Amino acid sequence: MRMLAWLGRMGLDVVRGAGALGLVAGRTVLALPRLERRELARALVQFGHDSLPLALATAALAGVIVVLQAGLYIQRFGARAFLGWASGYGVLWEFGPLLLGLIMSARIGARNAAELATMQVGGQIEGLRGIGLDPFAILVAPRVVAMELSMLALSTFTFLVAILFESVAALLTLGLPLRVFYGTFADMLSPLDILGGVVKTGAFGLAIALLSTAVGLSARGGARAVGQAAASAVVRGCAAIFVLDFLLTALLAGWMA
Amino acid sequence: MSAVLSFFGAPAVMLARTVRASLRDGVPWRESLAQLHELGGRSVWLVMSGMAFFGAVLVTIANSQATRFVGNVAVLGPAYFELLIRELGPVMSAMLTASRAGASHAAELSTMSVNEQVEALEMSAGDPYADLVAPRVVAGVLGVPLLSVLGTVAATLSAVAVAGYAFGVDGRAFMDPRYVDGWDLLAAGLKAVGCGLYIPLAAAVAGLKARGGAEAVGEATTAGVVAASLGCLLIDFTVSLAFQLLRL
Repeated sequence: MRMLAWLGRMGLDVVRGAGALGLVAGRTVLALPRLERRELARALVQFGHDSLPLALATAALAGVIVVLQAGLYIQRFGARAFLGWASGYGVLWEFGPLLLGLIMSARIGARNAAELATMQVGGQIEGLRGIGLDPFAILVAPRVVAMELSMLALSTFTFLVAILFESVAALLTLGLPLRVFYGTFADMLSPLDILGGVVKTGAFGLAIALLSTAVGLSARGGARAVGQAAASAVVRGCAAIFVLDFLLTALLAGWMA
Repeated sequence: MSAVLSFFGAPAVMLARTVRASLRDGVPWRESLAQLHELGGRSVWLVMSGMAFFGAVLVTIANSQATRFVGNVAVLGPAYFELLIRELGPVMSAMLTASRAGASHAAELSTMSVNEQVEALEMSAGDPYADLVAPRVVAGVLGVPLLSVLGTVAATLSAVAVAGYAFGVDGRAFMDPRYVDGWDLLAAGLKAVGCGLYIPLAAAVAGLKARGGAEAVGEATTAGVVAASLGCLLIDFTVSLAFQLLRL
């Protein structure tokens, strides 16, 4: 009986969450033509420019970690020539988008949810509606657009920095010349491999922006609700990133093979 | 520069104060158990489902690399299994725990300090480090290794299932522990314990610093999660580099 009640509550939660997400997505698309330019510019600076140090630090760490791990197999199998390809493939397809998504979900998703929840709890969103302004055009659509643009721009920098750090780490720990690293990298990777990473990053950015704003707008209660909304946005963002990662990998790998 | 210093220094100071306070006052074991439930029990579904999807991705990538060069995923399987045990299992589980537990710790502690409940605790002769931070640290050090074991198991099982059903290869080749030795398990354990120690400390640093209103709670949550995730990556990097330099 308790199991049944639990299942029912889970089902209702899922339906409610999907409905809220769909509603936010739909109203955001409708609000796109009337989107507030100044808010968009502010969000672009905040999401894109201000996240640059964090994104680059993550990229550098991811690149070095991938090479350190690949080094184990390189020493075991003696396949030094493959390192450029293997580590490039790892970063472009998997670790670059995944780690950038997780870090940005923590930074931007939590902040979006907290800001919107504060406004919702404080009645400011009701106030906007009261004076005839659409909160989706002012608050949500600029964030979604800015998040998407920032993620796409950051993914480029992430990949460049990660590959740069990979080649230097390969030179320092394994003594692999840069010429060999970039040689196999250029020979065995196609431009389509870069596209895979960019598509993933873009999808993660959209998921983080929509989920965090939906969570923030549905916050009810007092000050406690703000913290809960921020925490819940991060959790849902991470869960969505892992699910999307799987779906996109299966789809793109099947399509390219 | 000062940002870098405080990123590394603040958790170290927090750890020193927590250890000193809990040596003086003792760790409240009942509260530690409650925190272990909060961190472990309530993160277990997130970690296991996230890692299951991650394991499926891992075997998909192994398969697409294998079809290009060596023919069968069975050749790459053992190497990927070692990678999962040593590297991805602990770190991805820790990053998922950082998002779930780090956010809730930071939100809780910052709500308490914004509402001046921390001052109230000090007024009634309690010590916030011994009563609030120490149980969370104990829960993290015990809980994150357990969660990373569960996450690794979930990733392995889903990888085996995907290899078997989607690619039609013998999935058991993937969980071949041919290359896994004691050093791999030691590296994985060090990463999990390090992350388990770091996540509650980073969340507590961000949470106890919060001053102001509801916005401060949101900012503290963001700062706590970002510091915890980045810290997990740094710990992973440090352990991997040390093992690489020692040729283990």
